[in-house]
Amino acid sequence: MLEGILTGVTTAMTPINLLFVVTGCLVGTFIGMLPGLGPMSAIALMIPIAASLEPAAGIILMAAVYYGAIFGGSTSSILINAPGVASTVATSFDGYPMAKQGMAGKALAIAAYSSFSGGVIAALFLLIAAPFLASVSLAFQSTDYFALMVLGLVAVAAFAGKGDMLKALLMTVVGLMLSTVGTDQTQGVPRFTLGMIDLIDGISFLLLVMATFALSEALSAIIKPVNEADRQKEKEASQNLGSMAVSKSEVKEMAPVIGRSSVLGFLIGVLPGAGATIASFLAYGTEQRLAGPEKGKEFGKGSVRGLSAPETANNAAATGSFVPLLTLGIPGSGTTAIMLGALIGYGIQPGPRLYLDQPAVFWSVIVSMWLGNIILLILNLPLIPYIARVLAIPARFLLPFILFFSLIGVYFVSFNTFDIQLMVIFAIAAVTLRFLDFPMAPMILGFILGGMMEENLRRALLINNDSWSFLWERPLTLGILALAAICLFLPFLTGMYRQMREKIHPKATTGE
Amino acid sequence: MSMSKDRIGGVLLLVFCLTYGLLSQQITLLPFQENVAFHARTMPEVLSVLGIGLAVLIIVFPGSDKKLELAGYNWISCALFLGLMSLYGLTIRPLGFILSTSLFLMIGFWLLGERKPLLLILASVPLVVLFWVLMTQGLDVFIEPLPAFMKSEG
Repeated sequence: MLEGILTGVTTAMTPINLLFVVTGCLVGTFIGMLPGLGPMSAIALMIPIAASLEPAAGIILMAAVYYGAIFGGSTSSILINAPGVASTVATSFDGYPMAKQGMAGKALAIAAYSSFSGGVIAALFLLIAAPFLASVSLAFQSTDYFALMVLGLVAVAAFAGKGDMLKALLMTVVGLMLSTVGTDQTQGVPRFTLGMIDLIDGISFLLLVMATFALSEALSAIIKPVNEADRQKEKEASQNLGSMAVSKSEVKEMAPVIGRSSVLGFLIGVLPGAGATIASFLAYGTEQRLAGPEKGKEFGKGSVRGLSAPETANNAAATGSFVPLLTLGIPGSGTTAIMLGALIGYGIQPGPRLYLDQPAVFWSVIVSMWLGNIILLILNLPLIPYIARVLAIPARFLLPFILFFSLIGVYFVSFNTFDIQLMVIFAIAAVTLRFLDFPMAPMILGFILGGMMEENLRRALLINNDSWSFLWERPLTLGILALAAICLFLPFLTGMYRQMREKIHPKATTGE
Repeated sequence: MSMSKDRIGGVLLLVFCLTYGLLSQQITLLPFQENVAFHARTMPEVLSVLGIGLAVLIIVFPGSDKKLELAGYNWISCALFLGLMSLYGLTIRPLGFILSTSLFLMIGFWLLGERKPLLLILASVPLVVLFWVLMTQGLDVFIEPLPAFMKSEG
């Protein structure tokens, strides 16, 4: 392991890679801060640039952008109560009240220290867990991988929240459907190409991500009418941050919260599909309960604990979500799905073999997480008053640029103008579905895993002489599929149980 | 049955899944492939059944009753931007990168309310040229900068 860490350090610490970490953190913070744009769009916008770099450098750049974007998202949550992504919603509960009390600088500093600690502690867990899990997963076969992918897809939908599970499942299926467009990998038969040569190679992953995230988020911002009062508020918030000093008593208050939330965040991040949003809310709720009745009342009004807990947990979960990606090759979240797509673009197949075949990539990702967090703390925090001014740039200049970067990012990879037209079509579909509250992340996950799932299933059937019996004969496959079934039906069963309880004891549940 | 957001989305995706299912039947199979357990049509067929089933479930049991409200949104701006993006795709080759991109950005700024001609030019042309230089010199990605008729022969 020590040898691996050294490999990672020597790869990540080259001047050029350090430059990528710094640039990535700054660019990520900048993009993440723009209301409406989250880490997924930030990483997607970086893919065309990362594609022209060495694999390790490209992944380091994207990991840095990821951390930067999370930090940037927290900044806009705290300053203007506009969380760019769901994972920073809980940050705004106490961060925004603090900013309103004239302590925006302090809130940003607490968020930065918490994110840093959460990220660093979770990267330590990753360092221990990833090689262990990678060595275990070497025993996995095609059938197990197929089952794992089913689990990953189902879990994303299962964690989508009450009432949204069916929509998330359907969007996953839509993603799987889109992955079947193009020439069939084994039999060489064209599928769903509609007679168009441009679709023979299938739909580009980058194109789909750009259209459904960066483009549709920018278009959604165009659709929503701009409120001048909000613009004024953003302008003022970006200029008056106040002191960034954190007192000793506040550090004392934060320390145990950071410890607990790091562990919680990491564990939830490792679960496929759960991710940073659930981790941040769970950490917030846990700390509120642990704070006791007196301190608990401060939550929502500018509590240090209430700000520190979700910030630590969402960063720890972001790190945790790299565990299934690096060890099993299965992304646990939309963001890691994009990372997986980028790795595949480099010709690198993440999974247990990555640890053995590409140690430089594997370890430099882990080391770059530490570096990214350190850079965020020592570089971004002092620069935040300046970076925050991005909030004052008028949207009428920012939005056309985002659209341009999204379009040109895809065009520069393929040099095919058909791709731009296809992006427009996907953007129309994505804007419509977003407006109807259908989630996009499960679709991307389905799209990324679709090809691999079909390939593994086909291989499993070939090995088993066209018999489907492997689904129940191999204990590991059966176990994972059973877990997927539990994930799928548990929300329904708990809902039914609750309804039944309500019928039997109506008074207890209504609180009468 | 009133049309909530969920139901409208469900209907749209049901149409998509049905079309996908129909198109899946057009995938050509070689004679020997028809009796194997897994062929090029298997996954699409399974997916279309799953998709249709889920879409019907959403229509019948919508997760929320939120109604669709179209008023108060800048739909026209969105449509114009979609048209602009499509036009950009059509002009990037004949007009060259610098001219087409500058026009794209200037029209974009104008659509969102910027009316000062000098600002329109200053916020687009220098940045587009800088971006082109960065891409061609820094990342070795070459793209024709000028319109076809201004290109030098040979």
